[in-house]
Amino acid sequence: MAALPRRIIKETQRLLQEPVPGISAVPDDANARYFHVIVTGPEDSPFEGGLFKLELFLPEDYPMSAPKVRFITKIYHPNIDRLGRICLDILKDKWSPALQIRTVLLSIQALLSAPNPDDPLANDVAELWKVNEVEAIRNAKEWTRRYAMDN
Amino acid sequence: MGNCLKGSSADDISLLRGSESTADSSSSDQLGPPPPYRVESLPVYYPSPNISRPVTQLTEEEQVKIAKRLGLIQHLPTGIYDGCKKNRECVICMVEFQMEDCVRYLPCMHTYHVKCIDDWLMRSFTCPSCMEPVDAALLTSYETN
Repeated sequence: MAALPRRIIKETQRLLQEPVPGISAVPDDANARYFHVIVTGPEDSPFEGGLFKLELFLPEDYPMSAPKVRFITKIYHPNIDRLGRICLDILKDKWSPALQIRTVLLSIQALLSAPNPDDPLANDVAELWKVNEVEAIRNAKEWTRRYAMDN
Repeated sequence: MGNCLKGSSADDISLLRGSESTADSSSSDQLGPPPPYRVESLPVYYPSPNISRPVTQLTEEEQVKIAKRLGLIQHLPTGIYDGCKKNRECVICMVEFQMEDCVRYLPCMHTYHVKCIDDWLMRSFTCPSCMEPVDAALLTSYETN
């Protein structure tokens, strides 16, 4: 395996030394490009009180291409599908090498506070979010209790 | 003159025919399948940030796009880091600029290592820090000068 770029070493050190509040990202023992991530559900969102596991992988040409990020914990959100894939512009066409693991995870946390049903990935969730927001939020809270609070 | 033209065009056709038939047989018979390291060494281009293609598989439109981009990049000023800039770290590689490093200045005044920013500009013609489209800024600077 090729040597780890200086940038990845630096980002990892900074993540461990100055962690982002509400976010933990720890590199895997066997693969320094694979991170075990936990994001806490933001206050005043239907995900409050939940601990959401994600996986983050830095591809070979990082930072020229975006990290691959996926929710492992089930979540009821219009921009996150059943497989945990995330619809977020900075992970796709709005990626820039000036962004970092830290900023990507902050953006994902912000997405939990501000679901965007007009740019959906989970169509049924987005549909309900648009026609009956109260019920959608009730579902999101229920899923948070059921899947993101048990340990 | 007329004879010359006729003669040369006839020669050209025969040459083409000859080279076509020999190219097919010689490339497969003599060279065989290319060794793996040659495949890896083929340059890969990014006509769009999410599309990567080996140089041999680019469409004509993509080739034009990449050629234009290469030309535009050459118009962006470069310099040697002299230690007096405020931003001490290249945000792409996160390594501090060292004296004598080759740096490139974008029209928005953001500075990067030449190697780092050129790699990015070949994928997306935007400044990584401010997302300003580099070619738009270039064109306005041409207009004002």
